[in-house]
Amino acid sequence: MTSSETAGGAVEIRSLSRSGAARSYLLIAPAAVWMTLFLVIPIAVIIYVSFWTQTTFKIESTLTLDSWRTFFSSDTYVNSLWTTLRIWLIVLIATFVLGYPTALFVGLFVKNKTLQTTLLVLCVIPFWTSFLIRVLAWRPMLGKEGAINIILMKLGIVHQPIEALLFTDLSVVIGMTQIYVVFMVGPIAFMLGRIDPNILEAARDLGANFWQILRKIIFPLSLPGVVVGAMFVSVMVLGEFATSAALSGRKVNLLGNIIVTQVGSLKWALASVVGVILTVIMGLVIAGLLRVVDLKQEL
Amino acid sequence: MKGEIAVLSEEPILRLDGLTKRFGNRVALSGVAFSVERGEYVALFGPSGAGKTTLLRAIAGFEIPDAGKIFLAGREITHTPAHERGVGFVFQNFALFPHLSVMDNVAFGLRNGAKRVPEREVRMRALETIGLVGLKGLEDRGIGQISGGQKQRVALARTLVIRPRLVLLDEPLGALDANLRLRMRAELRRIRDQLQMPFLHVTGNETEALAMGDRLIVLDQGRIGQLGTPAEVYNRPASANVARFLNRYNVFDGALEGGSFASAYGRFPYGVRMAGQKPAYAIRYDRVVAREKDAVPQGPVVRANYIASEYLGAAIVHFFQTNDSKVVEVEHHLSNGPPEAFTEGRAYDLTWKPDDGIVFG
Repeated sequence: MTSSETAGGAVEIRSLSRSGAARSYLLIAPAAVWMTLFLVIPIAVIIYVSFWTQTTFKIESTLTLDSWRTFFSSDTYVNSLWTTLRIWLIVLIATFVLGYPTALFVGLFVKNKTLQTTLLVLCVIPFWTSFLIRVLAWRPMLGKEGAINIILMKLGIVHQPIEALLFTDLSVVIGMTQIYVVFMVGPIAFMLGRIDPNILEAARDLGANFWQILRKIIFPLSLPGVVVGAMFVSVMVLGEFATSAALSGRKVNLLGNIIVTQVGSLKWALASVVGVILTVIMGLVIAGLLRVVDLKQEL
Repeated sequence: MKGEIAVLSEEPILRLDGLTKRFGNRVALSGVAFSVERGEYVALFGPSGAGKTTLLRAIAGFEIPDAGKIFLAGREITHTPAHERGVGFVFQNFALFPHLSVMDNVAFGLRNGAKRVPEREVRMRALETIGLVGLKGLEDRGIGQISGGQKQRVALARTLVIRPRLVLLDEPLGALDANLRLRMRAELRRIRDQLQMPFLHVTGNETEALAMGDRLIVLDQGRIGQLGTPAEVYNRPASANVARFLNRYNVFDGALEGGSFASAYGRFPYGVRMAGQKPAYAIRYDRVVAREKDAVPQGPVVRANYIASEYLGAAIVHFFQTNDSKVVEVEHHLSNGPPEAFTEGRAYDLTWKPDDGIVFG
């Protein structure tokens, strides 16, 4: 009697776990279908199209390496690859340098939870306006007769307006940093907010000063936030084209800008080549960042 | 010069002078003053909200008192930053550095302290302290890979390794299960005896306080309720509140009239009087006996109904309830014979020797 009961129970548990497994497949099915339709297939198509034959007005599915050769033999395109990497790295560093102290203030020094949330919401407020307006608003700020130059001249710090402010690398970096810094602040502030205040007191009690605590305790514990923030910023900056179009006066050509022009002139094959290169770069950057910390363990 | 050092070394390691701290309208500490001598183990005991943790945090430098002074070995440190005090603090939740190994946790204070310690000495001292707390072999483990009891030992080692002049322990055993707590109590005493450092141990547990302290300080609503050896505090609580905190006394309200105490249950003669406070009468659980109704010819009597008993191994506690719902506890030590059988709901007369009664007021 007892043994048959046990056996029955075991069977029941096994069937339960089988239906449980079926249910979990059902749960991920919508996401899997979505990802396949809108991520896996498009990427496969882009890779495929990058090998098509492009003539001036037509594109044919005959496979060729021509578009790839065109990209790597043209200084314009290769330079835009380097420009993209350079701008990405500068903006990444700038968002970190500006974002980390901000996150430190919001996440650690502001003890009041309500004030903390309010400050984070304040960081997000610029997103309530359109992207284009946010970017274009920098023109009257940075221009030759813009706000910054007027103030600097009134204060007597400069006598000639600084022309390098607008339509340069610098203006693109400023514009992007302003837009994307909040994606760095958010994740870092989140990680900092999770640090047990007793841990910091313990470090202080053991004789460590503020800088030692920042370097040995706070920074390592916030590193997952830095990595997540860096991923957000990297993915968005690498795919950027609007800020550079609006603030560089067409002088800064990012890979994103090339895609836009190529698509505009129906050069699908070359646009696909650039798209594939951009995707590979993003994949490498994210893989690299994930090596810094084990996010599965930390979050 | 020599004379000056001699004078300093006679100073107690810690002296508090009129320490007061308010949080808004709430008074956390009010004129707290006491000293801790060199090599002394002092238990600071009180119910939750008595201000124990605030007091400890003020000594460590995490809170600045509103008034009063703190002296460490004769030097005032009231406003010295925490990292310059040389006072060790063991947190209730251990507060270990989660991203560092056991070794790096213990070595933190040596590597990041004000004094530069060469790395060879860091490793040597850290290993020595890890051995002292019985964690040899676990140096490279992560904090997530050790048990609660082991975390407690790491927290202790991390503090002891910097050789603080005073070790503050904030409910150090509170996060451990009962079994482990007893073992760690013995361990703490052994470590302390070996190092001869003064320990100030905060606890909300009366048994722990009585067991651990060379001396006991009872904190009552931000004030010192009593200061004495465990035996003094246990046998002669200085106030009705202290008697209540000890969890060993039945305390009755009433008034002091003539030579006896007038309670709601009749007049109680007493043996000892502690003067100068709100009147109350206290009798230890194990001094009370229960008799059949009307079997007590004289002396103090409280009539109460038997509710239930609790078996404690070496003793049994019987719970009685009076008509006005006051619970009176009677403890019977089983070494004094088998427990009596009481009938639930039936009334008994509870009595004791008048000499055992303590009256306040």
